Amino acid sequence: MTPRTPWSPGPASWQDDISPLPPSEWNYDRAAHLLAHAGFGGAPEEIEKLADAGLDRAIAALVQYERLPNPKLEPLFVESGFWDPAFDRFPESRPDATDRAEKSGASMGVDVKPAGNRPVQPVSDRFFYWLRATMLETRRLGYWWANRMLQTAHPVEEKMALLWHGHFATHENKVRDYRKMHQQIELFERYATGNLRDLAIEVAKNPAMLYFLDAQYNVKGAPNENFAREVMELFTMGVGNYTEKDVRECARAFTGWYFEDLAFKVDPGKHDNGAKEFLGHSGNFDGVDILRIIFEQPVTAEFLAAKIYRFLVRDEISPVLRKQLGKVLRDADYQVKPLLIAIFTSKDFYSAASYGGHIKGPVEHIVALMKHLGAESMPGVPDFNQSTIALGQNLLNPPSVAGWAGGKAWITPGLLIARGNVARDTLIPDMTGFRDWNFNAGTDNVLGERLRDGYDIGAATAVNDPSRMSDFDRVALERDEKFNTRISGYIGWEQAARKLIPTPRDAARFDLTSMVLTSGAKTTAEAVDYLTWRMLRVPIAKEMRSALVAFLTKELGTDNVDRARTYMEDSLRMTVHLMMSTPEYQIV
Amino acid sequence: MTKKNPLSETGLSRRDMLRLGAGGIGFSLAGGIGGVPPVFSQAINSVAAKQSGKILVVFEWFGGNDGLNTIVPYGDRLYYKHRPTIGIKEPDVLKIDAQFGWYKSMSGIKRLYDDGKVAIVHGVGYDGPSFSHFTSISFWHTAAPNSGNEYGWVGRTAANLDQSGVRENMIVNIADSQTLAVKAPRHVPLVFVDPQMFKRGVFAQEKPLLDTLAAEQKPVGDAHKYVLEVTRSAAQASEVVRAAWTAYRAKANPDLRLLDLDKVVALIEAGFPTQLYYVPLRGSLFDTHVNQAAPHDRQLQYCSDAIHGFYSEMQRIGRADDVVMYVHSEFGRRVPENTSLGTDHGTAQVNFVIGNAVKGGMYGKPPSLSELVLGDNLQSTTDFRRVYATLIKDWLGADATTVLGQPFETLGMIKEARR
Repeated sequence: MTPRTPWSPGPASWQDDISPLPPSEWNYDRAAHLLAHAGFGGAPEEIEKLADAGLDRAIAALVQYERLPNPKLEPLFVESGFWDPAFDRFPESRPDATDRAEKSGASMGVDVKPAGNRPVQPVSDRFFYWLRATMLETRRLGYWWANRMLQTAHPVEEKMALLWHGHFATHENKVRDYRKMHQQIELFERYATGNLRDLAIEVAKNPAMLYFLDAQYNVKGAPNENFAREVMELFTMGVGNYTEKDVRECARAFTGWYFEDLAFKVDPGKHDNGAKEFLGHSGNFDGVDILRIIFEQPVTAEFLAAKIYRFLVRDEISPVLRKQLGKVLRDADYQVKPLLIAIFTSKDFYSAASYGGHIKGPVEHIVALMKHLGAESMPGVPDFNQSTIALGQNLLNPPSVAGWAGGKAWITPGLLIARGNVARDTLIPDMTGFRDWNFNAGTDNVLGERLRDGYDIGAATAVNDPSRMSDFDRVALERDEKFNTRISGYIGWEQAARKLIPTPRDAARFDLTSMVLTSGAKTTAEAVDYLTWRMLRVPIAKEMRSALVAFLTKELGTDNVDRARTYMEDSLRMTVHLMMSTPEYQIV
Repeated sequence: MTKKNPLSETGLSRRDMLRLGAGGIGFSLAGGIGGVPPVFSQAINSVAAKQSGKILVVFEWFGGNDGLNTIVPYGDRLYYKHRPTIGIKEPDVLKIDAQFGWYKSMSGIKRLYDDGKVAIVHGVGYDGPSFSHFTSISFWHTAAPNSGNEYGWVGRTAANLDQSGVRENMIVNIADSQTLAVKAPRHVPLVFVDPQMFKRGVFAQEKPLLDTLAAEQKPVGDAHKYVLEVTRSAAQASEVVRAAWTAYRAKANPDLRLLDLDKVVALIEAGFPTQLYYVPLRGSLFDTHVNQAAPHDRQLQYCSDAIHGFYSEMQRIGRADDVVMYVHSEFGRRVPENTSLGTDHGTAQVNFVIGNAVKGGMYGKPPSLSELVLGDNLQSTTDFRRVYATLIKDWLGADATTVLGQPFETLGMIKEARR
């Protein structure tokens, strides 16, 4: 076997030094460090290519990715077909839906029954149908996006799109329209490494964002501050760089902005045309003017450069480095690529502080895990979304407008254990025990059973055992209700599940036996060394290494890998499960 | 002052104390948890339960709760002037006196109030309030308004209560990720939401390697050091939390809707040594900018029912005297309603302190509705650190001045304040 380049953190003196790494310092290990941070890591062959290319060409290949063909990229998202124009201006709540229907006779394209029991039931059912449909379709969308992250030849593009999704955060829970979330993914991919000012303007006009931050309520004479505050606090400058008056003036500038279906619109009648005073400027500003002023502030460049740095490199950034990188971004007129090149070329990036300084986020972690195993597509078992949710990241549903906290917030005792479990469920999936959660109404399943057992709606939705309900109560229920929301919750699941395109439930496809044999490993010790080198950036404890070698030797009944070639797959998988459960595997 | 470590009197070794994280859940061995060392004799359990000290549960209502529509000043005509549409009408108020009443969906906590177990604190806030959710909550978490502290107030309280930092599971945080309030200089808070997920899935032959996962080694940096610490904490906590949850029978009762407080009950019932629980509500459901009536009604009912349910669980297990709950948000809301039938971010808020140890009633001066500040906002009358100081000093018996960095007058709501 060819000797492997050891773990090569640069000296501590490189920390905060943005001068470029001398070409002589470039090696395989530093290329591995680069790919782990700039993208999602990769197989030794990919890293080898970057190492051979030399520092500048390696970084150019990653950052100037438009030139590279991208043949394996997951194709366009195929919709299940849930959308119906009648869902436009979807009611904000179930009472909103049923009240509307009682007044006008219809809602969401569904009519109230002219007579009979529960006349508004179809409307209530329709409301829950769309809630379930858009939630289920968003799960498919997340899975589709994860496959793009895994299969792309442009990992920097997807990594940065993931950053922008968490930065300009909206969640489907509130937006309630998978199409708007899809539109955002496309926006974040398109501007992944483009101009940040343009991206911010696009985000301000983006239907998901407009809805998420209550643009429809921001009108002349009655400005709503929700977007105005977050655009400065979370998206561009950070708190402390503007006054409450700036927030109010900013809100006025965005009045009248709204959307129709998937298109941005301005309602001139609702836009406040008056003069505004904002960050020391005065004029008849609209939203775009406001964003331009925001991007003239040096603090904006520093805030955004620091955000990018902390996402890609390490959790802490010194004030000095923050200023320097902010200047790089500002000098590039907010083009992201020059900043990325400066970061990835810098000595700081290869310093001891940056080596092992990044805790992988859950989505990043799972994509990297698949790459380490050599899987070429996301498995259906375990379910991608359930896995990342267990690790604390529900893609397309960040917890709030502030996105995910990231860094150390990704690791708690519970989340750390869950990382080991996701690794196990990927390496040794529970194929026979798996139940597809997309076709499972959870606690509502019992309602389906009761309806099929012949109970009427009132009895089926009784909290307690329906067979013990009095006839009086049952008749009263059937007579008094205009609709039953609990049954709508169930029917919504059923109807959405009928249309949903199923996610293939296959196991991850990879072969550790041939991976190890191809590596040239002869002994269990060599096999363990190869696998840790391939999958981990930070070296594991000596004690752990010997324990893994002893484990594998015991499982195989020999320390001779070739002797065990016909039966060693699951033992190798357990070995890798244990490796992926180490503290070291969680960081790069 | 140093509070004596209650566990040190039991004559247990440090290793045993690690296991004491398991508290009184030895009985749950029948629940199918294999391989738990049989050290939890009933004797040790009862020692842990009796000596684990006073418990504080912080229940954080994130999102910015509208205090004026929670404790409604229905006797003040100005209230209806500011809120012609979304103001709570008199028939929808559960009256306390001629001036104030609980919002109607809060009958659960109202019952506790009528029994003298709830302190309402009016006008809680701080000078120079931030209108940002995230900034304001960080001020509350660190108890450092318009300033900062690396650690949270609960984490610092733990350090003051247990200066040697040897007690495991001193702080429990029911959250998706660690809340800043519990970030602690000497302890690793136990953070989780779903006890069932808190289980390392391993095959039989892998088990012997689990202890090696947290093998001693020199960390390569700050992130590595952190992950190593959490690995050790996870190893000792996972089985005991799950065992406690398995043993908690009342979770099957559909009438008990405890939100995330059910996990706290389970651990307290199991005799966990935790003194400080921190439970933030998930989702910013109190952020009622638009059409606030229905969601606010629902949210207050859920929370009020959960508090009442929690209290009755404490009574059931005989720990109601030992537990105080504290409820706060990051700010209140703007006094006048907005044009979207909602309210925008504001300043002062109402807080609640609940428990048998509490002298029920109203504390703090209600802010004026005529003299508004900072653009139609309430002038806060009680610094939130006075409430913290009350809990830290009078309830937990720790040194509030050390924890908060300066002295604050306590509010006198704890019956037998510690000295």
